[in-house]
This record gives sequence, C-alpha cells and structure tokens, in this order.
Amino acid sequence: MVHALSEIRRVLVPNGILIDLRPVLSHWPIEVVSARDIHETGHIQDLPLGLADDHAANQSIAQAEKNEWFMRAAEEFFPFNYSWDSPSEMEEWIADEWEGFIQLDEESKRATRSAWALGDADAIVRVKVKMLITNWKKRISGDDE
Amino acid sequence: MTIQKDAERNETKYLHRFADFAGKRVLEIGCGEGRLTWQYAEETQSTLGIDLDADALRVATIDRPSDLETKVNFSRAMSEQLPFSKETFDLAILAWSF
Repeated sequence: MVHALSEIRRVLVPNGILIDLRPVLSHWPIEVVSARDIHETGHIQDLPLGLADDHAANQSIAQAEKNEWFMRAAEEFFPFNYSWDSPSEMEEWIADEWEGFIQLDEESKRATRSAWALGDADAIVRVKVKMLITNWKKRISGDDE
Repeated sequence: MTIQKDAERNETKYLHRFADFAGKRVLEIGCGEGRLTWQYAEETQSTLGIDLDADALRVATIDRPSDLETKVNFSRAMSEQLPFSKETFDLAILAWSF
C-alpha cells in the first residue's frame, strides 16, 4: 500500500491533492428507524481481518507522511448509513458482503428483530458506518526536481 | 433485497467540502461500478476511474451518462503500478480502496 501511495504521488502534479475516503471499523451502531423514533439495538462486531486492514491503511499513510510525500491538510469523520427494509435483509447483506470483516452477534440480531417487529409500520434497519475523509496535499521534495 | 446507501448524501457533501473538482483532471482509484464517480465527474475536466474488477468496470461503462462519454473513462489497472506519466492528474481519490 505504501507503494501505491508512491505511485499516486508520482502521477499527481506539484501541489496535487489526494483524497483518502474509507470506512473505519469502530463497532458501528445498529438502529431501527421510523419517522417517529430512532432506537439503537446493538453494535457491529469488528473482526480481526477488518481491523488488520484498517491498521495496514493507517500504517501506510503514516509512512507516506513520514517520508514527506504528502501533508495532511484536513481530516474529518462522517456517518454513512446503510439502510434495509428488514433485519433479515441486513443480516443477509452483512453475511454476504462484509464476511470476515464484521459480524452481528446474536444479542444484536435479537434486539433488532424485536424492535423492528414491534416498531412503527415505516420502520427500517440502519447501520451507521463511520467514514474517514482526509485531504492530503502532495509535498515537493528534491527528488521531484 | 432493498438496500439504500447514504440517503443523507453525506459522502457527496464531504467530498465536495474536501476537494474542488472544477476543471480538474481526476484519477479515482477503486472506482468499482462508479457509484462515487457520478457524484463529481460532471465538474471535472476529465475523470479516469481504475479498478481491478473487470465486471464492475463494465457496469460503470454501461451506466456512464451519454453527456459524460467524452470526459469520463474507466480502465483496469493496479494502484501499485499506475500506467500513467508523472504529473498527469490534479486530484486523486482513494475510494474505499485501502
């Protein structure tokens, strides 16, 4: 991944910008949401593979910063919501698309199913993914001359 | 299955808060099916999305609006070995791809 950052730096103009946009595991909350109410029913479990991915990304970007390839200009977290019509759809999606990275524990499944079944007719299920966005400015070094 | 992603459009809001796309030559790494690409490409001078997933790139190309055909392209390439000359792009986006 450090090599990828080196390549990105190479193809950017002087003072070019790199936007790093990615999800960060942090026990994302699960909610049952209706027009009238938001009810938190549990949290996603982070799995070792997902945590290792985040760690590797953080290490790579730290190395690029240490090498003075890029300068952090701005950084922020924001929520990115995934919504499903029912708990079973959420469970299926997580098992299929995020297998190995995150999982649902039985208590969160049970609480979500219960809150959704007892909730308003318009209730949906939502996972609030934590996103990180960073603006990196390419630094000019002697190697670029 | 019905899934909705980012109904609040936070990703678009933050992307535009963090980058000025107007007239820029943009490289998007990990573009997939182009979900993010369509949120900014119209403003750019040119946009090139790369990914390793040929099927996703096919979908992105099929979904490309006709008025963006001249400025948005997709290509299969690895981020570790970018097939471009130095200083080709003004802006790069690492999109969900670390």
